[in-house]
Amino acid sequence: MIEFRDVSKTYPNGTEALKHVNLKVKKGEFVFIVGSSGAGKSTFLKLIMCEESPNSGEIIVNGRKLSTVKKRDVPYLRRTMGIVFQDFRLIDNMTVYDNVAFAMHVIGASTRDIRKRVPYILGLVGLQKKMKAYPNQLSGGEQQRVGLARALVNNPTMIIADEPTGNIDPALSFEIVDLLSEINRRGTTILMVTHEHRLVKHFHRRVIEIHGGQIVADTALTEVVSHEV
Amino acid sequence: MKFSSVKYLFREGLRNVWSNRTMSFASVGVLISCLLLTGAAVLLSMNIGSAMEILEGDNSVRVVLDDGLPTLTGIQVGEEIKKLGNIESCEFIPKDEAIKQYLGDDDTLLQGLTGADNPLPDAFRISLVDLSLYDETIAQITALDGVQKVDDYSDIAEKLTSLDTLVTMAGFWIVLLLSLVSLFIIANTIRVTMFSRRVEISIMKSVGATNWFIRVPFVVEGVVIGVVSGLVAALLLVIAYNSLLEVITDIAPFFTPIAVAPLTVRIFLIFIGAGILFGAVGGAISIGKYLRKEGGDIIAW
Repeated sequence: MIEFRDVSKTYPNGTEALKHVNLKVKKGEFVFIVGSSGAGKSTFLKLIMCEESPNSGEIIVNGRKLSTVKKRDVPYLRRTMGIVFQDFRLIDNMTVYDNVAFAMHVIGASTRDIRKRVPYILGLVGLQKKMKAYPNQLSGGEQQRVGLARALVNNPTMIIADEPTGNIDPALSFEIVDLLSEINRRGTTILMVTHEHRLVKHFHRRVIEIHGGQIVADTALTEVVSHEV
Repeated sequence: MKFSSVKYLFREGLRNVWSNRTMSFASVGVLISCLLLTGAAVLLSMNIGSAMEILEGDNSVRVVLDDGLPTLTGIQVGEEIKKLGNIESCEFIPKDEAIKQYLGDDDTLLQGLTGADNPLPDAFRISLVDLSLYDETIAQITALDGVQKVDDYSDIAEKLTSLDTLVTMAGFWIVLLLSLVSLFIIANTIRVTMFSRRVEISIMKSVGATNWFIRVPFVVEGVVIGVVSGLVAALLLVIAYNSLLEVITDIAPFFTPIAVAPLTVRIFLIFIGAGILFGAVGGAISIGKYLRKEGGDIIAW
């Protein structure tokens, strides 16, 4: 599903964000990506989303080498990913329904499909009764669930969540990860960047730790090593 | 592209114009000024051209006779002119007819300006066979007894030509300058819209909207501004020109300006076309630069 082969990324200002990163994420996995600020987590996600390109190495997403993807094809690649932002990025003057429908409109979905799909997805995240509410009438947790619904509505094969619990009450964080786990159970790959160790400890999933642009720990590898031992 | 998408994009474009109405209004104002000045310069130039054509087409010279010259002597002068050669026609214009040509058949105006009170002299209207011998022929005519002067239209033609050049040059630079200002204002108007909708743009990019899909509402915004400006400017130009025409023909009935009526459809089409072009280019300039941004850079803009 996602493969990094000796990937390095240095920004024009000289910052080495990633150094010789190698990793594989299989289809249907749920992966936590942890690390301190400036460790390279965001760059890692940006490379997958084609917002940045590596200086060296190869990235493969859904079987496609990103170095061969033409600029005009990037939007189509992104349609296979659902992005969840830390700051929710909801449009204030649109209702919950319209915020989710917006993601379908912009990829050219028909009105009929939108009318069918949006209520279904909002039901999935438990917001069917708040379809007509505006973002400022919702709690932080609810707003992030709208963000999640928007990420899911185009039926992506993977969800990329960049600190989705960073702006909500700690108690509600579990609710969001529960929801992501449920989505994962249905077959969607989840990549979630987080700072919250409580969540990582609570949900026993694969954890990749990035530090100084390098992968310093990967529980998948640890498990292999422990099995081998 | 599906019909629902087209409908959606146009609705979004119109929403942009309305939600950013102050800047849209400013853009429309500047674009109207630009189009009006262009139109005015073109119409002025067309009128000068038409006046020159009349003058050139006429190809006639007025030979003014001495004041108080007896009519019979005047006719003899005419015979002498005809004998000069290089004269195609020589038509006598008595002063009573000349005053009628200037003032029309208005009896009130003509009263008190006929007979001995007529300030105009008798004259001949002559046309030449060979214009290259113009100067020599005019000199011969001027030398004849009883000839007061020869009205030489080449001077007026020269003045009209230099006026036309001036109007064309000044018009060109004014229009160029205003075009750039219009483009700048439209581009900025659209930039303001983009700034206010940056969250939407970042979401659009993240869910996989193509650049074209993101671009269209902003281009539609520019085009709407252009169409409105073109329509209003064309309407104002036609109304203003017609009003001016009424005033001018009242003051100077001998002046024959070009009529705008046959040109109305063309003026509307050209103005709307120019408006669309300006709006679309302005929109494309703004969005092109902005579409290269990605993710958080869009929000942090």
